[in-house]
Amino acid sequence: MKPWHSLEGKTIWVTGGAGYLGSAITAALDSQCAKVICFDLPGKAEAFVRQQKLTHTVPLSLDVTDAAGLPAVIDATVAAHGLPDSVVHLVAASSSGKRLEVLLPEEFQRTFDLALTPTFVLCRALAERMKARGSGCFVLFASMYGVVAPDPRIYHDPMAPNPIDYGASKAAILQLSRYFAVHYGPAGIRFNCVTPGPFPNPAVQKNHPTFIEDLNKKTALHRIGQNAEIVGPTLFLLTDSASYVTGHSLVVDGGWTAW
Amino acid sequence: MGNSTSFSLHGKVIIQFGGTGLLGRALVSELASTGCTLVVASRNRPALQSLADKERTAGRTVLIEETDIGSEASLHSLRDRVLAEHKRVDGIVFNAVSRPMKAMNDDLAIWRQSMETNATGFFATVRTFGDVMAAQRAGSIVNISSIYGMVGSNLSLYEGTNMTVAPDYFFHKGGMLNLTRYLGSHYGPQGVRVNVVSPGGIYNPDTPQAPAFIERYNKITMLGRMAQAREIAGAVIFLLGDASSYITGANIPVDGGHTAK
Repeated sequence: MKPWHSLEGKTIWVTGGAGYLGSAITAALDSQCAKVICFDLPGKAEAFVRQQKLTHTVPLSLDVTDAAGLPAVIDATVAAHGLPDSVVHLVAASSSGKRLEVLLPEEFQRTFDLALTPTFVLCRALAERMKARGSGCFVLFASMYGVVAPDPRIYHDPMAPNPIDYGASKAAILQLSRYFAVHYGPAGIRFNCVTPGPFPNPAVQKNHPTFIEDLNKKTALHRIGQNAEIVGPTLFLLTDSASYVTGHSLVVDGGWTAW
Repeated sequence: MGNSTSFSLHGKVIIQFGGTGLLGRALVSELASTGCTLVVASRNRPALQSLADKERTAGRTVLIEETDIGSEASLHSLRDRVLAEHKRVDGIVFNAVSRPMKAMNDDLAIWRQSMETNATGFFATVRTFGDVMAAQRAGSIVNISSIYGMVGSNLSLYEGTNMTVAPDYFFHKGGMLNLTRYLGSHYGPQGVRVNVVSPGGIYNPDTPQAPAFIERYNKITMLGRMAQAREIAGAVIFLLGDASSYITGANIPVDGGHTAK
């Protein structure tokens, strides 16, 4: 019998698969799956696959600004690589760097256009195809800032607080996941979220030590997360380890939201 | 933090409290298959022995320790025996439960009796072994709650059956959820993680629930079925191991989507 957490023979799509969190997930899946389709900005996935010498990963470009063109990309990818067993969707967007007071309505709108509408289009298109098969699994990336608001006091000038459009779009992802889970549950398709806490990338870790110390203090474990630590929770939800888990938001935040 | 992508429990010393019921037996079988050293602690000596014998027949090793979690002295004695034998404790699974109360109108003496195990016994257990793991600067506590620690019960599920839903269970399982958050912050700085798994209804293949209940229950889940006992183990193994190194104070419902809607 294969172990619970086996992904042997699986084809998995990872959108945003070459980013800070996505790259750790793609690399782990590459060593365990039959095939990984890594979507990212033009050139980024290719460079990542080349640098990491991944052997089971196909890098593809994805322009999420083009929601109207997304169905054609999905069709072409399914035609070339088959219907995926599972999807890990990390694509996010934000007006990062802009303060609430000066954020333009069109910038706020743009985050939703990038983060939310393509997620809806992608999930529905693939889940509809998976219905006939009677199985499928989606892991969508939310954020603790879709659950609680950032504390402005830990963001010191010139750093702007994590922006309102980011958190609002992540809260929407949480609800979208629950809605899909309930809608497609009878077809045997599971939807869950990974909801990360503080996982600043290496550049932030290096350049903002005071900020990191403030983040550390807001968690029960007194430390920020490192990207390798998002892999286990993602694998858990993707595999038979979570065969009866759907519509859940798996919080990976060192205890940030537990107090 | 170990290998944070690994689901292996190989080499870890795990104590499971409560192992002779439907869920407990399934957790024992799955945990014993992970390569950990598994100690099962329960008050019921004959049931423990038969569990260990059955597991041995299946090629798995389970160590058994008769323990009364209603007695702190009994817990301390268990702690001392385990440390003498295995030198450390890497994780505990709190699955012990006592269900003396049957109905809303039961005597308060029965409520108090329930508190003895489900509240006091629970706290005494997690404090005893939380302290051991805090001293080691690493460990994981997994508490088994229930969807009935998260939501109330739709009593129409039970109509026309002889199954009962007693109020003490909701108090203890809900309390377990928030005490877990407290323990997560108390032990976090020492590297001990504390989390909850909240199972939904589990199908009992040995003495199946009333057909009317099963049919109604299937419909309140989004996967259209009750859980198999072994399906709860995936979340427990995940939370015990290094794959969940940045998760603490969290609750994982294993409920087929029941609480998502």
